[in-house]
Amino acid sequence: MKNKIEEIRKEKGIRQEDFAKLMGVSRQTISSLETGKYNPSIFLAYKIAKYFEMTIEEVFIFDEEM
Amino acid sequence: MKTEKRFYLNIFYVVIGAALLACGVFEIVDSFWSGMGGALIGVGAIRVFQFVKFRKNPEYREKMDIEYKDERNQFIRLRAWAWSGYTFVILNALGTIAFKIAGNETLSKYCAFTVCIVLVLYWVCYLILRKKY
Repeated sequence: MKNKIEEIRKEKGIRQEDFAKLMGVSRQTISSLETGKYNPSIFLAYKIAKYFEMTIEEVFIFDEEM
Repeated sequence: MKTEKRFYLNIFYVVIGAALLACGVFEIVDSFWSGMGGALIGVGAIRVFQFVKFRKNPEYREKMDIEYKDERNQFIRLRAWAWSGYTFVILNALGTIAFKIAGNETLSKYCAFTVCIVLVLYWVCYLILRKKY
């Protein structure tokens, strides 16, 4: 699933390490999320969206064909 | 509390391991048991060392906590177990055929039996998990 995590994170000027700490996951998880290698659980997706003060749909792009 | 129990359990492993190793040195038990003792000392000592580091080093504790609770790591661990199990079954199925062709009935039966046990276990686990979720 595509997402705008990297884009929004950079806009906010947060480093991957710091963002990972805030989300309670490893830096590798954030990296995998940003490259689209790993899809987050609904809990993590919600936590990320809440931190960015956005909805899940604004952060994650649902592609029906996938 | 759970971590404390594990700490003492690992000290127990080291003590049992040392006892087995000593019995091996004095030829009270054979090399299988003294080897087992060495393995117990190794595993127990590593765990005790990790526990002490976990207690004394807050940075390490935080790192280990994240590593353990990280959802991607949990996902990878589960996938690794699934892949290992699947590969194990395939290799044993291939072994059943290969040993049969090679004329080794005993090993062929052993491999076939192993496949059956794993498949039965899989179905039991599947039925339990289906009820759970």
